[in-house]
Amino acid sequence: MSARIAPTTKPPTPSTSAEAGDGQQGFGSRLVQTLLTNRVALLVILLVVVVALLMGLDQAGYLSAAYSPDYMSAALINLVPLAMLALAEMVVIISGGGGIDLSLGSIVSLVGMGFGFMYGIWGWPLALSIVLAVVAGALLGAVNGVLIARFGFPPLIATLATYYGYWSLALVSNNQKPISSPPIQDLYGLSKAVEIPLIGQQLPLLPKGIVIFLLPTVVIVGLLLAKMTYGRRLYAIGTNDVAGAWSGVDVVRTRAMSYVISGAIAGLVAVVNVSQFASARPDAGTSGNGMALPAITIAVLGGVAVTGGAGRTSGVVLATLLVVWLNAGILLAFSGNTGSQVELLALGLILVGSALLNTFTARKYSGAR
Amino acid sequence: MSAPATTQAPKSGRVLPPPVMGQEVVLIAVIAALWILLTIFTPAFLSAGSIQQLLWRLAPIGIMAVGMTMIIVTAGIDISVAAILMVCSVVMAKLIAEGGWGFWTAVPVAILIGGLLGSFNGVLIAYGRVPAMIITFGTANIFQYIGLKVFNSQTVNGLPASRDVLGPGAGGRTFGVSHAFMIMLVLVVLAGFYLRHFPGGRHFYAIGGNSGAAALAGVNVRRRIFITYVITGLLVGLAASVTIAGGTSTLDQNVGKGQELATIAAVVIGGTSVLGGRGSVLGAVLGALLVQTVSTGVTQLGWPSQLSNLFVGIFIIIAVGADLIREHRRRSHA
Amino acid sequence: MSEALDERAATGTPRLFLKDVSKRFGGVQAIRHADFCLMPGEVHALVGENGAGKSTLIKIIAGAESSDTGSMELDGEQVTVRGAIDAIDLGIATVYQETQLFGQLTVAENIFLGREIRKGPRIDWVGQNALVVDLLNRIGLPPEYATRHVEDLSAAEAQQVAIAKALAGDAKILILDEPSAILTDVEIGVLYAAIRRLTKSGVSIIYITHRLDELFEIADVVTVMRDGRTLGTYEIGGLDVRRVAEMMVGGEFALAQSTRTAESVGKPQLVLNGFGSRGAFRDVELTVHQGEAVVLYGLVGSGVADIASAIYGMRPITSGSMMLAGQEVHPRSARQAQRLGLAMLPANRKKEGLFSFQPISFNISIGHLRLLSKGGIWMNKRHETDVSTEMIKTLSIKTPGAQVAVSNLSGGNAQKVVLARQLVERPAMLVLAEPTQGVDISAKEEIHKIIEDLCEHGTAVLVATSDLTEAMRIGDRMVVIRNGTTFTEFARGASQSDVLAAASGQLSREEEETLAESGPT
Repeated sequence: MSARIAPTTKPPTPSTSAEAGDGQQGFGSRLVQTLLTNRVALLVILLVVVVALLMGLDQAGYLSAAYSPDYMSAALINLVPLAMLALAEMVVIISGGGGIDLSLGSIVSLVGMGFGFMYGIWGWPLALSIVLAVVAGALLGAVNGVLIARFGFPPLIATLATYYGYWSLALVSNNQKPISSPPIQDLYGLSKAVEIPLIGQQLPLLPKGIVIFLLPTVVIVGLLLAKMTYGRRLYAIGTNDVAGAWSGVDVVRTRAMSYVISGAIAGLVAVVNVSQFASARPDAGTSGNGMALPAITIAVLGGVAVTGGAGRTSGVVLATLLVVWLNAGILLAFSGNTGSQVELLALGLILVGSALLNTFTARKYSGAR
Repeated sequence: MSAPATTQAPKSGRVLPPPVMGQEVVLIAVIAALWILLTIFTPAFLSAGSIQQLLWRLAPIGIMAVGMTMIIVTAGIDISVAAILMVCSVVMAKLIAEGGWGFWTAVPVAILIGGLLGSFNGVLIAYGRVPAMIITFGTANIFQYIGLKVFNSQTVNGLPASRDVLGPGAGGRTFGVSHAFMIMLVLVVLAGFYLRHFPGGRHFYAIGGNSGAAALAGVNVRRRIFITYVITGLLVGLAASVTIAGGTSTLDQNVGKGQELATIAAVVIGGTSVLGGRGSVLGAVLGALLVQTVSTGVTQLGWPSQLSNLFVGIFIIIAVGADLIREHRRRSHA
Repeated sequence: MSEALDERAATGTPRLFLKDVSKRFGGVQAIRHADFCLMPGEVHALVGENGAGKSTLIKIIAGAESSDTGSMELDGEQVTVRGAIDAIDLGIATVYQETQLFGQLTVAENIFLGREIRKGPRIDWVGQNALVVDLLNRIGLPPEYATRHVEDLSAAEAQQVAIAKALAGDAKILILDEPSAILTDVEIGVLYAAIRRLTKSGVSIIYITHRLDELFEIADVVTVMRDGRTLGTYEIGGLDVRRVAEMMVGGEFALAQSTRTAESVGKPQLVLNGFGSRGAFRDVELTVHQGEAVVLYGLVGSGVADIASAIYGMRPITSGSMMLAGQEVHPRSARQAQRLGLAMLPANRKKEGLFSFQPISFNISIGHLRLLSKGGIWMNKRHETDVSTEMIKTLSIKTPGAQVAVSNLSGGNAQKVVLARQLVERPAMLVLAEPTQGVDISAKEEIHKIIEDLCEHGTAVLVATSDLTEAMRIGDRMVVIRNGTTFTEFARGASQSDVLAAASGQLSREEEETLAESGPT
């Protein structure tokens, strides 16, 4: 511009976010905008709608059994592994660079077998075995972390390779046979539903796993992301890893750590899985469609941006709750095999729908374009 | 300093870079070495029966890998091919076993359905502009639902012998070469030719390398990306007709399980870069051949069959690692 | 002497004639009443400072932007260019600085992408190759290059391919945007030879450059732009670098002088000796004292920003030494540089500085996690908010609050956020690269005031910039970088056109010596 420095008039104040509009917006469109941009709010509303819908269907007699609080509480047993793995995927996806972890299912299988050996056959103490399971998961995740963050492998490829590798190791470890020795079978008690102390008389039974496994995981991950410096670094490299490097963040270490964390969580899920089935099975995490896909679906539904840098613990937990209760209702609404089939469909539609939603709202409301 | 302009093509007569890349040569060497080693340790490996089985099993993966190569070259991915395979298989099986259709009349139906499902993916990805990985994760589930609904029960029984013409048995061979394998070869040659000598094929590489610049150059990026998913869908439909020709006369719901990852593994091992812009169908087929060799070899050696997955994982690391190293060297040179 | 455009037009049909073109972007008038007359077969240089309007004018010609007023005639016919493809069809080809090439494809394929020569449905490789070889000839590349992959070529060769590609469409007008920025002297010679070949066949070339010495080697005429206006079009013969520089800056202004006087400057904080980074710069000698604002000034591509990056550990140092507060150091990352007491505002805020959809407080605190937390692990949100609020106030960042995402801020305010990140703990030394690029005038003022304030409190400041007025305003000393190494130094109060000439021109031997004598170090 001109060599004259003294400004003559102040330049017009820049408009804030491109198309979102300012104060002139009507209440209706502002409500829509809030719902679309605040994932937690949207999920809460969806949750209420779905539960209300299912209860309504129950009253009208369309369900094969009662969609009661007891039933809903019992369904929460599925919440534990699913939410934990979704949180694990969230951490990895937030780290950016195309972050994803396809190997979580086979980490669950492999560590599950290891746990089966430690606790079920060699007779090591339970607490020690659990701790070692988590450590083992962390180490397996570290392999991903090193390949991706240090050597630059695309996350899809690296975790695809480790998925194959860990899967076959799990199968080979005990010659494809599960471990169901007595100590393992007794573990079922860890997952049983119990009455909540003090206030629980009128309330339904709650699966123990929620308190023993899920709650600590949610608290730790939630604190890590929202309150600790690691969380800041993670969001930073997920948003813009070049700017992260310029700001002094150790991009390699932070990103690698995210895979270690997700591996550790998967290691704990292995223990959960063994206790829920009272057996350490080599195909625990890889049967059906595997565990990674539902976890990723729920993370995306929970508001995690696939490109990185965004996602909240509360969103993911709510999304898991929604999916678990929705699935529980589906099982009652459709008899026999159809139920599990419709669950599949629901999961697929949810993923496609929320991915489209995420892209649409990012373009329309973030002002970033 | 240059020779008089017009008609002098470079002396070697070469108008194009050579058709076989470094990675493919390495793969051929590795496969050859493996075959030699396996034959030494288990002479049964090189028996006609074993090789014919191997080549037949190669066909469906090879056919799908052709489409997957095009998708990955444009920097996309398709996780739903296994589900598409399942749908096409069950529809075809039902038509033949329960509907009384002839085998060859049912094949086009399978192909068409595959194309339809593929275009569903294509629309969402090319025009919806959502990351391909996520979308195809979702459509995989949706297609699986459709497939299970068509199954309606656990299995489809009573598949007639008419399908043997594409099968692994004697009815599926002419002069000892599997028909399915020949079909795959033809497709590979056609696709390879298209990718190398047709503008549309070259545009895939441009899109994967720099989609913005491609658009500026007048390439209809969205249409080309859409087409890759449709082509893949069609090819998966064809692969389905080979798949149902194998095994017992019963088709169960597990058909196609894990094939999407196997296909991606083959393409990646073959030197196609997940980041787009680079790759070949020849490499993909070689990658599939390597995976199949490992699988057969493991069985022949009497090792637990799951170990083959471990090797696949290792080969993926090696292949992509080599690609990364090459990329690194390129960057520090220019 | 300036030729009135009508006189020019009278000498024959102009290839291109723009009359009274204006363009406004939001609140900024980018060009006003600009006229431009390009004759067939001439090399027409276009010069002007950053922000003078050159790139907007070019974008209008190339169809990337549309003008608000004015008309355009091509070979005597009125035309409206509706888009980039339109322009190409009309014979206007542009080679931008960011090459739009495909590394994994061959030269031949790159040139003909989208309009391949066909034989039926297939590509006619032989026929296409012949055309490619022909084009390569015109550019000066050997025919074997037709089958080489572009990623294997050097930057200069890739640029030649880009030019060949632009010509493949039978262009009548070729616009080159700072083509020599990335070329060595030898490669520039090759470029000039190619340009001469082209003009001989009637192609008109619009050549944008900051390197004024180039004008006398390649251009026939030059149009000078300033403040969005075209001052005039001049025959090269009657000019010299000094005169062109004077026209670009509008004579010697009494700049709003900074209020700083000769003050006591402290000990040397940064000393560079023989400092070099392979491929970018070499043999840089520099000293920055505490309380002093030193400017590294050079044209785009001279290596100025790279020197700053290397000091901060974000570019490898391959030769020479760097001393900070008397200690020899060798930072290899921003983290290490930070630990040594360095702070830096990166050159490209969108790519290197901002976390776009994160709030302002996030963007500020990310550089100081250790400080704003307990034990380096647990974030102290109260402290973070306090610091952010204080920074917003101190730097006058216009925002409704600290939780607003930075993508919603204007360029100037966003830049202040990145600057705030560096100032949370007053650094011993602050390096700023292109600190006011894309920043409005009042924010620019404010940023300059902040720099002055820092110096007054003892911080050593190094500003790497290609903005001449900025350099003149805030530099206690100006070190001119040319061709990747230190060229000369000026003190505050030097003449603006001297500085510009030093950075961009070939001064005569006497002029260099006079400069060296008159500029105190």
